[in-house]
Amino acid sequence: MTIGLSFLLGLLASSVSYFMLGLWWPVAVVVGLFAWLAFGLLDVKMDSTFTLLGGLLLVFCVSLSAMVFRASDQLSGLQYIDTQSEDGIEFRYPVPLLGNARYGEAIYKANGCAACHTQQVTHESVVLDVKAMAGKKNLAAVQEAISRFHKVTGRDASSGAALGLPVGEWGTVVNDANAVDASKARYFLAAAGASVDVQVRFRGEDLTQHDLLNPRGRGWGKRRSVAQDYLFAEPPMLGSVRIGPDLANVGARYSRDVLMRILLNPKIIRKDNKMPQHRFLFEKADEDDQGQHIINDVIVLKDILLRDVGADAVKIIKVHVAIGDLIEKGKPIISVKLEETQMDIPNLDDEKISAFLEKKKRESKRFVNAGGGLISSPFEGIIKELKVSSGNTVKAGDLVLIMEVAERYKPTENAEALVDYLLSLKSANYPLPEAPINQPYTSSMPKPAPVATPADATAPAEAADTVKPDEAGK
Amino acid sequence: MSSEPKEDKAKMDPREAVDRSCRGPVLFLAFSAVAWLLVYSLFALLAGVKVHASGMMADSAWLAYGRIQPASQLALQFGFLVQLGLAVSAWILSHRGKTVLVDGGYLIFGGMLWNAGVTLGFLGILAGNASGLEGLQMPGKVLPLLFFGFVLVGLSLVQTNNRRTNEEMSPAQWFLFAATLWLPWVLGGSYLLIHFFHAKGVVANIVDWWFIQNFAKVYLTFVGLGTLFHFLSALSGRQLVGRGHAQLAFWLLLLFGSVGGVSPGAPVPAWLPALSTVTAVFYFFGVIAAWVSLSRTVNGASAANDEDSLAYNLMRLAALVFISASVLNVFFAFPGPGSTAEFTTYGPAMELLFNLGFVGLTLIAALYHIFPRLAGMDFSPRMTGIQTVAIVFGLFGATLPSALGGLMSGDAVLGSGFYFASLGDVFLFVGSLILFLNFLRAILFAMKNCDCLAGFCGKANTKEANA
Repeated sequence: MTIGLSFLLGLLASSVSYFMLGLWWPVAVVVGLFAWLAFGLLDVKMDSTFTLLGGLLLVFCVSLSAMVFRASDQLSGLQYIDTQSEDGIEFRYPVPLLGNARYGEAIYKANGCAACHTQQVTHESVVLDVKAMAGKKNLAAVQEAISRFHKVTGRDASSGAALGLPVGEWGTVVNDANAVDASKARYFLAAAGASVDVQVRFRGEDLTQHDLLNPRGRGWGKRRSVAQDYLFAEPPMLGSVRIGPDLANVGARYSRDVLMRILLNPKIIRKDNKMPQHRFLFEKADEDDQGQHIINDVIVLKDILLRDVGADAVKIIKVHVAIGDLIEKGKPIISVKLEETQMDIPNLDDEKISAFLEKKKRESKRFVNAGGGLISSPFEGIIKELKVSSGNTVKAGDLVLIMEVAERYKPTENAEALVDYLLSLKSANYPLPEAPINQPYTSSMPKPAPVATPADATAPAEAADTVKPDEAGK
Repeated sequence: MSSEPKEDKAKMDPREAVDRSCRGPVLFLAFSAVAWLLVYSLFALLAGVKVHASGMMADSAWLAYGRIQPASQLALQFGFLVQLGLAVSAWILSHRGKTVLVDGGYLIFGGMLWNAGVTLGFLGILAGNASGLEGLQMPGKVLPLLFFGFVLVGLSLVQTNNRRTNEEMSPAQWFLFAATLWLPWVLGGSYLLIHFFHAKGVVANIVDWWFIQNFAKVYLTFVGLGTLFHFLSALSGRQLVGRGHAQLAFWLLLLFGSVGGVSPGAPVPAWLPALSTVTAVFYFFGVIAAWVSLSRTVNGASAANDEDSLAYNLMRLAALVFISASVLNVFFAFPGPGSTAEFTTYGPAMELLFNLGFVGLTLIAALYHIFPRLAGMDFSPRMTGIQTVAIVFGLFGATLPSALGGLMSGDAVLGSGFYFASLGDVFLFVGSLILFLNFLRAILFAMKNCDCLAGFCGKANTKEANA
């Protein structure tokens, strides 16, 4: 390689390492020199293993320090904060997960929820609102500056903002401006001697509430996620694919009940849901179990057979239900008349008879109970098909009707823990300084400083402008 | 053959001696790789089906989508690509260096360790011991096993390269040599940072992205390009044109491939995504340089031997996939288009296209060329034809619909891309099943019909390597 070309490469290497990788400048110079020497001056070819190995090691160190160590240095100082929300509620954020939720994080990790769900609310752009305040003396100049700004940036409705500017009070100059326009506005206004205040707002589909005006809005969080949110996550399961919705704030969106249902059968929530069922997190509930945690799931058809009523054949007197009825458990379905009482009751005393009947009843749970002449429903469900009508004679074991019955599940400990963890994910409820929910204007905050006068107008402008758009993105 | 007198051996084609030294180790690695490809395609198919039939296999935690999908990725990347890459690297480095493979036993032993590591990682993910990270999904405990397995294989490869007959190294050798060194460094570094020093919070993710970037943009790319640099010139019977371009490509790809890979909206300091965009652009210059050199070498030539035309054309297809995937990557590295594609199925689809379409196809094509020379027995031509067509169809069927579907759907809502992608998965499965059977059949026939595979146990060839 010629010396000239290798010098250019060296220059490239050093400028890249200084400007892009942000290396300390002597290191950048050494990198450039090394590249120059390696490529050209010493005429070291790529033929010796030593050259190759040296170059590889150098690049490896640059790569590790430029990407990993530098980020690690910057993020190592992250801590929780003690602050209060707009409602005045004090909170400490973030805090380590406690108890069950901590175990739930392990369940989330083990089952690879991050394969389909992200945990990062992103913003797509930053917009800036600019406010200005003028004193009596410079009102005209500031108004002139505002009209000039609107003219330069090609905005039509400028006169209102310029003319409506009250003396000694903050007035909006422009809303939703991009960084370039906002800095122009700031420049014009500061030149006219006004106090300037800039509000930074993050925008994006994740942050926009879903409604008629914003059909693309997702409402996944009121603020974007930042590194501080994941201080205690082990590890942060940020995810890279959204086959399902983002979960960074799922705890603020859904209740325990809904989350359980989604885990058991996502199609309950939305028909075209692509999420697989997680039945392995649940177990079938006993029929007697009537706890609140029971979830009715997948509808199955069940044949309801006539149980052994003690007679060979019985005649149906009346059918109490029709197709499509929703009936509760224990409600009568049909009335029967015992035609021939050939009940083969063992020769036992009363107690033993009732015990025998109880046993029979338990053995044949799915059979229709016979209470007196009324046959009652063993399940809660919807009548799908009636196989008998009044006047029929039926035997024990005959099909009476077909019912739609929901399978009943109850969550295991794993499911409870997982849902506890999901409910703990509500980062949007905790605004952070670098990710505010609604960044207030600095001027609207209580300030000890008196109202700015034209003389020191530029000083508060500097103070108010501490959040610059490019810094805010960090 | 080992019974023949030594004088005959000296007269033999030196290439045959090299092949004999490679036989056991390379075929062992290649066979395990092909088996892992079969495992990958089966689990990718299962994962796809789970998206359509949400109630299927819902009672088994082992078969949750979130477990079989990462497990299949592990089988593809660490089981198939790395092992076949090592096998092909071993063959190319010894042939380019005109020297026998040094210490082939290390290759077999290291390969066994590596296979054990991948198997444990695979089962670990299925059993619910995943690390929760995207790139290094396997449980942290298997990483040392993988590391030592690779280092053992690497020892043999580096020694082989050092004993090359020509002092001058060709581009293929640079790329393969660098790749062999790079993966253990990156793997070891990530292991130490994540599992030993316990990187806190998003730093763990940054280390993980660093690993993903280095694995794909440096390791896999270098293995693929090294193989292409060797075979495109060897199979077309031409000299490699543009050594300077290759050199420029090497350093640009290395420097800029090793940094970046952070998505535009990630909750990390903003300079990381910005840096990733910048490196992606510079990386593309390296891609162009490599492309110029390769295309000037090939320049419309066809394979010198008819029997190599399948391998040669597959490699040209793989090179085409490489350049198109790179063009798309640099376009979507910019924040505007990038945020459209971010979080959609476009990302995984392009990753699969790169992994299987560029690196995988290149290595499979190389295997077609290498296998008959090592086993003394060719693949069945008809099965080879079917499997190649099935794999290529499956590859594009599995990637293009979900890439397009991802771009059209935006985040969160999926179109029908998934259904077509599953059709592609079926093709891939059929292709890899036939490839596996084909391999097995050829090996069994070769073992039965001649003694050329006596060294498959790994004993005979170490003796020859010492001789």
